[in-house]
Amino acid sequence: MTEEKLDKNDPQYGAVCELLDKLTLKQLVLMEEKMRCELNIESSINSGSIHLAKSRYIMGHKSVSATQLPTENSPDFSASIICETEDEDGVQQLKVSDNDAEDKVNPIKWFGVLVPQNLHRAQAIFHNAINYIVECVNVQKQLDDVIYNIHLLKRYKSIQLTSQKKDQT
Amino acid sequence: MALHAAVKGKLISVIGDEDTCVGFLLGGIGEINKNRHPNFMVVDKNTAVSEIEDCFKRFVKRDDIDIILINQNVAEMIRHVIDAHTAPVPAVLEIPSKDHPYDASKDSILRRAKGMFNPDDLVR
Repeated sequence: MTEEKLDKNDPQYGAVCELLDKLTLKQLVLMEEKMRCELNIESSINSGSIHLAKSRYIMGHKSVSATQLPTENSPDFSASIICETEDEDGVQQLKVSDNDAEDKVNPIKWFGVLVPQNLHRAQAIFHNAINYIVECVNVQKQLDDVIYNIHLLKRYKSIQLTSQKKDQT
Repeated sequence: MALHAAVKGKLISVIGDEDTCVGFLLGGIGEINKNRHPNFMVVDKNTAVSEIEDCFKRFVKRDDIDIILINQNVAEMIRHVIDAHTAPVPAVLEIPSKDHPYDASKDSILRRAKGMFNPDDLVR
């Protein structure tokens, strides 16, 4: 009841409420978007894992495992895929890009020279999953910003509300 | 007109089970830098929680990492550390694994977003 009176009396208070409504709607949309991205990642990981399992079946179960991965004692090399921060109209977005360093390696060579087609397919699927991941991170960053802004606005609103109540009494 | 200003690229790191690490490293995100520090960690059933925690903190401290991928079941083990990390960089993304499907109710950021709808705030 008191809130309605304040709302009508103060246009600034109404604007804050309207902005909060808009941000809350945006938050819900972003939450849905994030879940959609996560499901895309999940289906990529699942189909990639099936191809890894098929490769394991062909090459032997120890041939596609963590033991083939490089360790601290392996020679150093650079990542083939990196992400770059781009500033688009004041909004920071991450973007997948190929690294142009010279000491890159093709990871498929860790598993042998003649590897089954399934391993190539798994590589392509996980390579594609990285795009979903960067998309998901961008959504997550936006969601983080929206949550922060809602938090700030709610604090501002409560401060305003208490000061107006004091004025009335 | 969009203003493009690209900055030097950064790495994607991964903490996860064998298949997740093998898969994403096969995809090309793996790196071993000049100091012989890898940007990945394979977690198996014998890995101690403190090791995962140390590795996560090490990745957070590194300034050449932009994204930390972590399996949701591994993230559950060090939930307090992940919840305490609120800085925008590096972004921590919880991903499902083949054995553990994605559960939105466990995701740190979605739980924080859901917390905005708590009853105390709604009555105002």
